[in-house]
Amino acid sequence: MVMTHPGLPLYWAYAIGIMMLLLALLTMAVKAPITSASRSISLAKLPLIGGLFRFLTKYTWPLLLLKIAFAALFITVITAGLWGTPIVERNLATTLTWNLWWTGIIIAIVFSGSAWCALCPWDNIASWLVNHSIWRRSNSHSRLQLKVPTMLRSVWPASLLFIGFTWLELGVGIVASPYATAMLALLMLILATTTLALFEDKAFCRYMCPVGRTVGAYSQLAPIALRPIDSEICRNCKTLECFHGSDKIAPCPTKLIIGRLQENTYCTSCGNCTQSCPSSNVSWQLRSPSSEAIKEAKPHMDEAFFLLILLSLTLFHGLTMLDYWEVYLSEMAQLINDSGQLIISFSIGLAVTVILPIWIYCLCIGLTQGLLKRNLENGMTKLSFNKLFSGFAFVSLPLAFSYHIAHNLTHFVRESSDWLSLVANPLGIGAEPLSMMDKHMRHMEMMVSENTLFIMQGIIIAIGFVIAAQVIRHRGHRLFAAQGITLLPMILFAALVTGFNLWMLVQPMTMRM
Amino acid sequence: MIKITSKKTVILSGLLLCALALFSSLTQAHHVLGRPSYSLNEDSNTPPSMAIETQIGEYFVTYMVFPAFPKPNEPGRVNIYATRIDNGEMLNQTITFTVRDDTFWGESIGIGDGAKPEVIGQQNIDDGVYRQGFLFKSRGSYIIRAYFEDNGEPYEIDFPLQVGAASPVGPIGAAVGFIFFLLLMINIVQRKRIARTKIQQGNTAW
Ligand code: SF4
Ligand code: SF4
Repeated sequence: MVMTHPGLPLYWAYAIGIMMLLLALLTMAVKAPITSASRSISLAKLPLIGGLFRFLTKYTWPLLLLKIAFAALFITVITAGLWGTPIVERNLATTLTWNLWWTGIIIAIVFSGSAWCALCPWDNIASWLVNHSIWRRSNSHSRLQLKVPTMLRSVWPASLLFIGFTWLELGVGIVASPYATAMLALLMLILATTTLALFEDKAFCRYMCPVGRTVGAYSQLAPIALRPIDSEICRNCKTLECFHGSDKIAPCPTKLIIGRLQENTYCTSCGNCTQSCPSSNVSWQLRSPSSEAIKEAKPHMDEAFFLLILLSLTLFHGLTMLDYWEVYLSEMAQLINDSGQLIISFSIGLAVTVILPIWIYCLCIGLTQGLLKRNLENGMTKLSFNKLFSGFAFVSLPLAFSYHIAHNLTHFVRESSDWLSLVANPLGIGAEPLSMMDKHMRHMEMMVSENTLFIMQGIIIAIGFVIAAQVIRHRGHRLFAAQGITLLPMILFAALVTGFNLWMLVQPMTMRM
Repeated sequence: MIKITSKKTVILSGLLLCALALFSSLTQAHHVLGRPSYSLNEDSNTPPSMAIETQIGEYFVTYMVFPAFPKPNEPGRVNIYATRIDNGEMLNQTITFTVRDDTFWGESIGIGDGAKPEVIGQQNIDDGVYRQGFLFKSRGSYIIRAYFEDNGEPYEIDFPLQVGAASPVGPIGAAVGFIFFLLLMINIVQRKRIARTKIQQGNTAW
């Protein structure tokens, strides 16, 4: 028997629908926005907690201890996956990876930006293996330091790996196999180590890692980021230790100059800049959330595609957990005579779900281009499709992020495992599978009440649309002098995606484990 | 200079080959079909079982494996129920059961011996159920296929079976071996490169 979680009550969907309609009208009716610099507060300067942040950025060992703890956990996951019980819900590898980490990491971005990457065991273990150094700058001979081939120098590798992992996760079903989960973890470690050993800097983190790129993209919406405490000091800096590194500390692994940093996408929160800056001028900052997505981040074509693929894959994750998905899949299988694991039907479903939102987006961009040409003066008529495509792609970010969090909240709140017994017996030795009664109890014992969960989900989806409308308004005006009716196609795109997200949330959702 | 580049190319190609070889062995990992269900069948005394319900062609099919985690030399069985989707009528044909190694690319590309299926039996309906017993002598990942034809249409129903524990030494050994080999090769190239630079510098100074 397959258990499902109840969906969001319909009245919530109607309420958000009305809000969307009003906001859409307002976005087109109000005057063009005045662009002003975003405000930010350095956490290191705050009265009570400032000391803690200064401490965290000054000393290496707190971060190092955390890195070691996460690496140990990663090794435990691999051990449990390879040697532990094949019963999914009794094995730490599957529960920790798919129930806690992959659902929690997205929610964590709201509170800690791209901090995950600082603790990431793939990168840390790879660095320890290759650099032969725990944290100091190393002159190890184990790195070839080759230039990354031009072909790989974009986020396309990360996009393709992300699609591949989604196929493995949901199509092949590694979520339901501790062994396969451990193999995937090992494969990532091998990829991280190989690229670190072959190429200069951290090519894996910058160009290939789907997790890092997802965290990077979403952290453009986060209210917290590593930035200069006093921008004036950075402006006058001649030595640029954050970029070049110091005697002891390695340079920025993704080639960023903190004083000029405008987008979080490639910051791995590694802390090298906080350590190497001679003026101790780098720290965590509170800033207006989503300011990057709304105005600061620069549009690039490969990143635009990554954002759209991220949106598609997020929708796909939700879609595969609905009852409808099974029906569509078996209809497709009958149509093409696919049997057994239905992997061909699944792959077609995945391809369609990836392509369809991008195609709809292209359509909306085409319409925007047409409207702009008609409404604007000669200078703007040369407005290229590509520029519009990359400029507006940030709209998909809040839409994907809000659904991703709302969806993950369901897993997180409703499928909390019996962590005590899992930690006591991570390999699940001698453990029995969950009985229907156990499953039922787990289903009933939620972390927060069902109503609280629904309220949280409704608010998150609404916020997603509000930010999307802001992105459209600000970017439209700043990049293309667009306002009023010319914004309509993009608003329709945001409304369509939000509507679809709401529809998915209203449906009952299959329990993950 | 050209020499170094060509060496690098050779090493890089070697590494790429290793990565490919490793990946092809990694992909032999068993894949899991559908959702495991731990409900008991009426005639089972060997819980847990793997039970999967799916629609294939004109049929609604339920199949189960007992036990879900069989060990080598331990008998097990597969049960299949199939009813027509349109009128609920039970399937009444002979079903042929075959087995092959669960290699990821085995069937689609036809690599290796494991891709060739071996017939384990033919079964007729027995009290509404098709039952096929099995006994595997060695540990491994297998795919059992139930095959029948209806109205001229072939039906193939696959389900994976892990017999005994999956070998953990393979992937760990391969991963550690690969990383060790990679770092060793790079170390050698780097040392040679440094030595050559020193000699060149010495020559220039002289
Ligand atoms: S980018 Fe990927 S590999 Fe790099 S630190 Fe982040 S999660 Fe880890
Ligand atoms: S060194 Fe670079 S990647 Fe690391 S925290 Fe600073 S800006 Fe981010």
